[in-house]
Amino acid sequence: MSDYTVAKTLDCKGLACPMPIVRLSQEIAKIKVGEVIEMFTTDPGSLADVPSWAKSTGNAVLENKQESGVIHFFVKRQK
Amino acid sequence: MEAATQEALKKLFESKLNKAMRLYLDTCAHCGLCVEACHVYQAMPETKYTPVGRAEVVRKLFKRYFKMQGKIAPWLGEVIELDDKSVNMAYEAAFSCTGCRRCVTVCPFGIDTQQVMNIAKLLLIGAEKQPQILAMLSDMSIAKGETWKETANDYIAALNNLAPEVEALAPTPPGRPAIPIDVENANVLYVGLSGKHSIVPAAAILNAASENWTISHFEAVNFAAWLGDGEKQRLIAKRIIMEAERLKVKEVAVVECGTATRVLKFMTGSHPFRIVSIVELIARYIEQGRIKVKPGTISGTLTYHDPCQLGRNGGVMEEPRYIIGKLTDKFVELTPNKEANWCCGGGGGLISLGEHEFRMKTGKVKVDQMRASKADTICTACENCHTQLTELNEHYGLGMKVESLTNLVAHALTGFGA
Amino acid sequence: MDPQAVSAASQAVVHTGFALFLDKLYYFIMVPLVYISVIVMIVGIVAKIVSIVRAPIPAFSLKTYPAKKRPFLAALGDTFGMPMIRKEKPLFWFFLMMFHIGIFFLFFGHLDLFPGVNLMPPESRHMIGAGAVGLSVTIPTFYFLFRRFKGQERHISVPSDYLLLLLLLFIFLLGDMISWGNSWTANGFVMTKADFKNYFGILKSFSFVDPRTVLHGSHYHFVVLHVFLAELFMMILPFTKIVHTFFSLPLNLLRRR
Ligand code: HEM
Ligand code: SF4
Ligand code: SF4
Repeated sequence: MSDYTVAKTLDCKGLACPMPIVRLSQEIAKIKVGEVIEMFTTDPGSLADVPSWAKSTGNAVLENKQESGVIHFFVKRQK
Repeated sequence: MEAATQEALKKLFESKLNKAMRLYLDTCAHCGLCVEACHVYQAMPETKYTPVGRAEVVRKLFKRYFKMQGKIAPWLGEVIELDDKSVNMAYEAAFSCTGCRRCVTVCPFGIDTQQVMNIAKLLLIGAEKQPQILAMLSDMSIAKGETWKETANDYIAALNNLAPEVEALAPTPPGRPAIPIDVENANVLYVGLSGKHSIVPAAAILNAASENWTISHFEAVNFAAWLGDGEKQRLIAKRIIMEAERLKVKEVAVVECGTATRVLKFMTGSHPFRIVSIVELIARYIEQGRIKVKPGTISGTLTYHDPCQLGRNGGVMEEPRYIIGKLTDKFVELTPNKEANWCCGGGGGLISLGEHEFRMKTGKVKVDQMRASKADTICTACENCHTQLTELNEHYGLGMKVESLTNLVAHALTGFGA
Repeated sequence: MDPQAVSAASQAVVHTGFALFLDKLYYFIMVPLVYISVIVMIVGIVAKIVSIVRAPIPAFSLKTYPAKKRPFLAALGDTFGMPMIRKEKPLFWFFLMMFHIGIFFLFFGHLDLFPGVNLMPPESRHMIGAGAVGLSVTIPTFYFLFRRFKGQERHISVPSDYLLLLLLLFIFLLGDMISWGNSWTANGFVMTKADFKNYFGILKSFSFVDPRTVLHGSHYHFVVLHVFLAELFMMILPFTKIVHTFFSLPLNLLRRR
């Protein structure tokens, strides 16, 4: 399914507001443009947060999955 | 600093000079009464951490650019110029202030340091020295005002996944989903945060009250309020106001978040619906007998931290105590409390900004209060305070339990119909 | 004119050169500058108030809670009782009260000097309080000044804070001295309240008569200095933190409603 390799994995399960997005923005700065970061959260709101964050920062959400309360994102650094 | 930037900053400054600001900037007697009122100064007794010291940075610029005195005899008031140095001073002043407004209650003139710091924050935005994290989070929230429709299905799916957790606390009224969304003409629009801990307990309470409610697509928190960007603050709040208008709800209940509550309740003008804190709603449900809580679910003694924006700045002080009275008879107050309560040190966006070391230092007064209370559990009604209290508890090894009031209520719900 | 009231150093001698210049300067201070400074003060305050009245109203309430049932009364209480200072720094509060009440009486004391105004019995030689009012402002001013030399008060003070207090201190000390001089017999070499009533009569009548014709005492220099410093105070009032006289109530209303 995923034709990309994950450069970094970020576990944000159980973090309080707004840490998942803060962590994502900090960690994505550490990978190269074009690379992909994988992120796990338990926040339902992140399903809207991460795409709107990606839109406002010019990055891209490649995919998201929900499995038993854990939300799994693949985000590509584009800038 | 370039002359053009200086001019632009002067304009920004001027745009902030309403009646209150002019009075604040003109009147301070340098009496120093506010000095001891600030928790930051209590932990780090330096002039730059006093309320008056913070406001002076702005006041000295005011004298320099907007007052005759600063032009004729600048040395009288030790005025400063708009340059990189003063912009850095403005940063230190504004983002070491949690905007708790404890100093407002102590100053003989009621000078509002939080308001004065909003001038400093606007100058930082103009000079592009604003904290990037808050700017980024604000932009995210604003972008969500447009992208929410695209992601709505994913969000609804995630909410549905929470149903078992909600139903473990209280049954869902027949014919409704555990977490309803987009319900037109609902009585209550509940605005939570991103995390499920801000959704599940509240959902259980609303269901236990058989309320006709609906959840917001948006998070209540307003990062732009901390950033000091009035326009972005308005846009973020507007998403929720528009949703409430679209659904024609009677009431908007805001999650345990002091700043979000204050912004929505007091800074968005008047609406055909009421805006309350979830704490007020819970108190009302208990009072009207719409929900029942069983006492004794909390072991040991319980104390309560008044979130500054909810209590002193929002007027919600008796409701949490009323609720707690139903939960336990082993309640102890922190001293001082209510309008005189010490800020926990987590306000003003400092949690979002990280600032762990600074927050742990400046939380010292709070820690002393917590220790003196000898309580086993401390609860509060603000996500920021909750995070800060949790970190203080760990950092200082207090061994207390830190709880959210809504969560305590949700776990004490009882007396369901069947 | 009662010859006994004229001291040797004044009047009869015809002045030339620097002494003449001083006479002219004294006259300027004692008559025209009084009017000028009052006008500057009033125009300055009105301009300041107008600039604030015209500024936009804050978009939301800045009050703190618990909300008071009667916000206006609460603000009045804050303004005139300063309950927070009383709680936090009782000594400071005591001196502040003494000082501000003193200022209040001082105002009426000076008003009493106008002919026709008789707040004190006309035959009394004294201003209101007979010198006590003077002390009630002088002592706190010493306290206000000294407290600015230590601790955080020192760090939050700017030069204008010290200069303002020094200015007040000199005005008050000179006032105390004049008031003390007044307590000597009317037949001595001093200026009495009756003399000052004559001077205020000149001011009131806009006759521009040289006050030296009614104020013969040899410490006239000190009277001139007292008046000059007081004029200075009036002229800077609208441009300094003393605007709190007018803004304390509106400010306290901001946090009460
Ligand atoms: C007739 C009106 C008033 C006059 C002429 C007046 C004048 C003054 C002066 C000259 C000072 C000394 C400033 C200094 O210490 O540097 C002062 C201090 C002060 N005044 Fe007033 N005042 C008036 C009314 C008020 C009112 C209504 C309040 C009510 C809150 C007030 C509160 C204060 C405070 C808190 C200080 C302390 C400042 C300090 O320690 O420096 N004043 N006032
Ligand atoms: S608002 Fe709070 S943090 Fe800011 S200066 Fe006042 S007391 Fe200190
Ligand atoms: S208490 Fe008020 S008047 Fe006094 S120094 Fe602080 S801000 Fe200024």
